[in-house]
Amino acid sequence: MSVASPEAARLWEQNAFPRHRIQWCPGCGDFGVLAALKMALMRIGVMPHEVLLVGGIGCSGQTRNYLNGNGFHGTHGGPLGYALGAKMVAPDLTVIALAGDGDTLAIGMESFIHVCRRDPAVTLILMNNGVYGLTRGQDSPTTGLGKIMEEHTEEHPPFVDPARLAITAGATFVAQSFSGDPRHCADIYAQAFRHPGFAMVNDFSPCVTYNKFNTAGWYREHSEHVPEGHDVSDKAAAWALLDDFDRRGKLPLGIIYRAPRRKKAHARLPIWEEELAGIDPEPMFSVFR
Amino acid sequence: MVVNNLKLLVGGVQLRDAVTTVTDILGKLFVRAGLHVLAMERGYASTIYGAHQFDPMVVAATPPLSYGDDRTDVLVSLEHDTNPDSPIKPNRDTILRHGKNLKEGGVLIYDNSTETVEVGELQARGVKVFPLPARQIAQRELKMEVTKNTIVTGALLRLLEFDMDYALFGAYLEGRFLSKGRGVVDINLEAARRGRAAVEEILSSNGWDSVGYRLEPQPSSVPNLLLTGNEAIAMGSILAGCRFYSGYPITPATSILEFLEKHLPRYGGRVLQGQNERESIRAAIGASIAGVRSAVGSSGPGISLKVEEFGLAGATETPLVIVDTQRAGPATGMPTKSEQGDLAMAIYAGHGEIPRIVLSAGTIEECYSLAFEAFDLADKYQCPVFLLSDLTLTDGRKNLPETYFTENQKPVVRHGLVRAADPGGDGYKRFAITESGISPRSIVGTPGAIFKVSGTEHDETGLITTDPPKRKAIFEKRMRKMQTYLKEDAKPPQVFGSPDGVPLLIGWGSTKMPLLDAQARLRSEGMETCVIYFTHIWPFPVHLVAPLLRQGSVLIVVEQNYSGQLADVIQQECLIETRRVLKYNGRPFYTADIAGGVRQVLAGGPGVVRVGEEAPDAAVETVPEGD
Repeated sequence: MSVASPEAARLWEQNAFPRHRIQWCPGCGDFGVLAALKMALMRIGVMPHEVLLVGGIGCSGQTRNYLNGNGFHGTHGGPLGYALGAKMVAPDLTVIALAGDGDTLAIGMESFIHVCRRDPAVTLILMNNGVYGLTRGQDSPTTGLGKIMEEHTEEHPPFVDPARLAITAGATFVAQSFSGDPRHCADIYAQAFRHPGFAMVNDFSPCVTYNKFNTAGWYREHSEHVPEGHDVSDKAAAWALLDDFDRRGKLPLGIIYRAPRRKKAHARLPIWEEELAGIDPEPMFSVFR
Repeated sequence: MVVNNLKLLVGGVQLRDAVTTVTDILGKLFVRAGLHVLAMERGYASTIYGAHQFDPMVVAATPPLSYGDDRTDVLVSLEHDTNPDSPIKPNRDTILRHGKNLKEGGVLIYDNSTETVEVGELQARGVKVFPLPARQIAQRELKMEVTKNTIVTGALLRLLEFDMDYALFGAYLEGRFLSKGRGVVDINLEAARRGRAAVEEILSSNGWDSVGYRLEPQPSSVPNLLLTGNEAIAMGSILAGCRFYSGYPITPATSILEFLEKHLPRYGGRVLQGQNERESIRAAIGASIAGVRSAVGSSGPGISLKVEEFGLAGATETPLVIVDTQRAGPATGMPTKSEQGDLAMAIYAGHGEIPRIVLSAGTIEECYSLAFEAFDLADKYQCPVFLLSDLTLTDGRKNLPETYFTENQKPVVRHGLVRAADPGGDGYKRFAITESGISPRSIVGTPGAIFKVSGTEHDETGLITTDPPKRKAIFEKRMRKMQTYLKEDAKPPQVFGSPDGVPLLIGWGSTKMPLLDAQARLRSEGMETCVIYFTHIWPFPVHLVAPLLRQGSVLIVVEQNYSGQLADVIQQECLIETRRVLKYNGRPFYTADIAGGVRQVLAGGPGVVRVGEEAPDAAVETVPEGD
């Protein structure tokens, strides 16, 4: 089956809610993520049963139900924890966490930082809309992106920048994308899926209903692709790039930092009865004699 | 002369005096000589250094029923004063705390390197006192302070007339130290001899032939293992096929994590020290979805933090074993003291209702055997299974014949795991409605068996729904698994004695041991009772329990908590009134606590008897126990 054939496209429609049952507002940025996700999965040539999509709480987490592939949906702030465990068991699995800015950067912040550090070969697509959409418009940790604030309060602190945070925390793949450009997203996602460590994609995916400031038009106006020639393996260059874009009031789209770590390979853990037959207790007995 | 029957208690300052080295070495030697050892109270504090620590150990010719009363035959104080001018005398601490519990005719060894302790009162009770300047000998004669406990060990071997030729002790030292050079073995043997010489001198100067206690080797046909309850759970888990374990360091569950970190990788498994309690359980749930037998372990505060994920595991029908090594709560409570306070949490914790199974171990044997059952039930019923233990077991040590472990090792059976289903199509339903409530389970990566799993309510395929008939059907399917469990796997409580018309002494957890001991004591005093002891607590097997309990004259539930959590469950499920004997002062139940409590209840006393010391002893200045 060729990677982008109609059959392949149909394959990714199975075991999922049909298109007309998708419950996102018309114009939601998450449609772009969904389209890009399918394109990227077809591009890397995996079969749906080899994929685990771990959804967070919120509109973003529903993505897992709108395409084929195994899906898991747990507690708020939990996706990276489940993804970590599954990947440790089955290294050949393509594990993708799909979670919003609230799930990842508020209630799931400690998990986010430590997973950056642990570096499992899991991709996080952080569907960042700068607002709690599902609960109807409360501030999220990324609320205020691009707004000039004269004064801050405890109630409304400055926003969190997941790209800078991920680099600081030790992530080995940090990228940004804009769901209004699914082809570019797909390109980034496919590279993230192939990355041998933790890949964080901060995807600006506008909430058309509850974030009237960071709209698709606003993102278009305030983003630029990472310039060609940027050395993704150089951490200092990544910081310089982020600083430069900040100064110009722009959001860089593309891979900002990529530096795979040397890691010990692990086999899939024993699961089946024949792999667990005749377990020898002797090495443990000898400790207690 | 008392032969092969004594309780030894070693006390000292935590870390500095390395209290458990003496009991660890002696325990191994005794077991190798065919004696039986039971040590259920490691008596440590939640500090690294400086608190009082004590480690009582029963040594006997036959397997001891329990650790008995808080009475000691041989008391060893390893303490010494670092500042002789201080008004607090640390080298008296063990003697002040435990001297009062020394039996008449007992033995006291204490380190008098810095000061002699006034022990006239003990001597008046016939206690033979051996002031032994172990630290001084170690420092001045052997130029090696670390040998001080070996000097004490040598003194004890002489006093108990055990292994006088050092055949066992020498072999132990060689096994442990020969890789560091012969010199290390020799200096330890020399230290033991110095301890022995010091004892000989005191014996002869007092004109004593012996101290009245002796340990004699007993031939044993099979080698015995000496291990803790946590080690039994960890070993059982590996043999039961657990290949993923995660935990966050917490007393007293940490030793499971440490044992598995060391041993599980050799069996192809992985162990994750979570960054917090929630990451631990989430990773374990993720691992279970990917197919392995997976477990988490923690204690009260950590279990509280995991509660949200219990509901998730229940709703998503994810097998998961949760080991709760209970310690005294609430909040931080007493991290190093035992309690049975988490039963209600294991049964009820979480919002909404889920299928769940609660098992509870009461002995080190059961820590091992229930581990097999826990993983098996989790697989079969695809739900969280709690394995409760308590600190008395986690740190308690006991010898068991190797054959116990080999005979109770069970082959791993992966119930209903789908290996490949309907490869061409999409007919697989992860949550198919079945009569038993159990749906064929696929794991991630199975061709043709793709599943969507959600903690949000879902239909048979796993796609989310709030449709009332679908919600009703899937909820009932999940909960039906518990009916199937009650039919196929629930076990009745263990019954010791005949329940007909006699008081029933009911318990769970480590209370089993003193309950049986108290039953024997009451019988020797002419009172017949029947002990009923629960390992399979939830879902509560009413059909197996209620008819049994109705046979008794009165129900007395003995628990190490404030309110009587099992008693509440029994009243709620069986509609039978219960009386309670409760203890929650941080010390385990002693035989006398239970026997006394039962007598009080039966004499028409209050329905709830709370045992344990009423007030602190006369204000003695002792080393604080830390916080």
